[in-house]
Amino acid sequence: MSRPAPGPEDRHAHSPGADGGAACADTVVDAARPAGRVLAALAGFREPVVWILLAIAFFTSISGKPLDGVLMLLVAMGLAWDAGRRALRHAGADGTAAQAWPGRLRGGRRRVILAGALLAGGAAYAGVVGSFSRYSWPVTACIIGLGTIVVLIGWHGPVRARPASGRLPVAGTLAWIAVLVAGCLWELGALLQQPSLTTDSYSHPTISTLTDPVLATSPGRAAVLLAWLALGWYLVKR
Amino acid sequence: MTSHDVTIAGYLVVLAGIVLLQVLATRTRAPIPSLGDMLTRAMRSRTGRVGVLVAWAWIGLHFFAK
Repeated sequence: MSRPAPGPEDRHAHSPGADGGAACADTVVDAARPAGRVLAALAGFREPVVWILLAIAFFTSISGKPLDGVLMLLVAMGLAWDAGRRALRHAGADGTAAQAWPGRLRGGRRRVILAGALLAGGAAYAGVVGSFSRYSWPVTACIIGLGTIVVLIGWHGPVRARPASGRLPVAGTLAWIAVLVAGCLWELGALLQQPSLTTDSYSHPTISTLTDPVLATSPGRAAVLLAWLALGWYLVKR
Repeated sequence: MTSHDVTIAGYLVVLAGIVLLQVLATRTRAPIPSLGDMLTRAMRSRTGRVGVLVAWAWIGLHFFAK
């Protein structure tokens, strides 16, 4: 029985240490031993992503958005559990889930039809959801619904296989990390200098505060939603 | 210069840094990966992929949802 050509995740699974995370923990943890099982169960918490999500859950919750916090917490725990489960199974990590979805979308005409349908759907979604008031239940349901679908697609595997990229230049990568971390810290600094975490400050505006005027109008919300959808589509194709 | 201006200037500096790095990555031979390369690399593992997509979903939640 022939095995499909390995996708990017297969390469990852057979290259322990390439990522340095718990995705490779299954290759280093002996799940046959009790101690190994415990380590494997905790393997998910070796993933930086899990801790980042937990931090987001914490700060979101204390900022007056408990629903966001609970959702982030659920995903963080799910990721940690999944990584631990894979470690216990010794099953080659993401290998089975990493296959790119079948090439059923190939073909120029189908691609055009799909692109048209996505554009129309995205515009309709942005128009309808943008017409709802911010922080209302309808918009909350729409955002959670789409977000859940996209995250589940990502959990399933990449939409299409990508050739393995070589190692990223260290200095350039560090430059990106420095800029992005600086942005996060600046935003956090503004947040902490507000009168309270749930009260906006004119002197120390967060990005949320700065975008409030745009998001106060229906066309503004629709435009931002379109940009959000485009970013999501870009990420799903990565 | 007020605190308001300083705060906004900080955001603009970060934004300028992002644009500069992206331009250097895509328009020059500088050893700097593009943001797309960074994302692709980060999304090679399942946890990385899900983490990035959850961050995207969180943006929508943060700005629109309860």
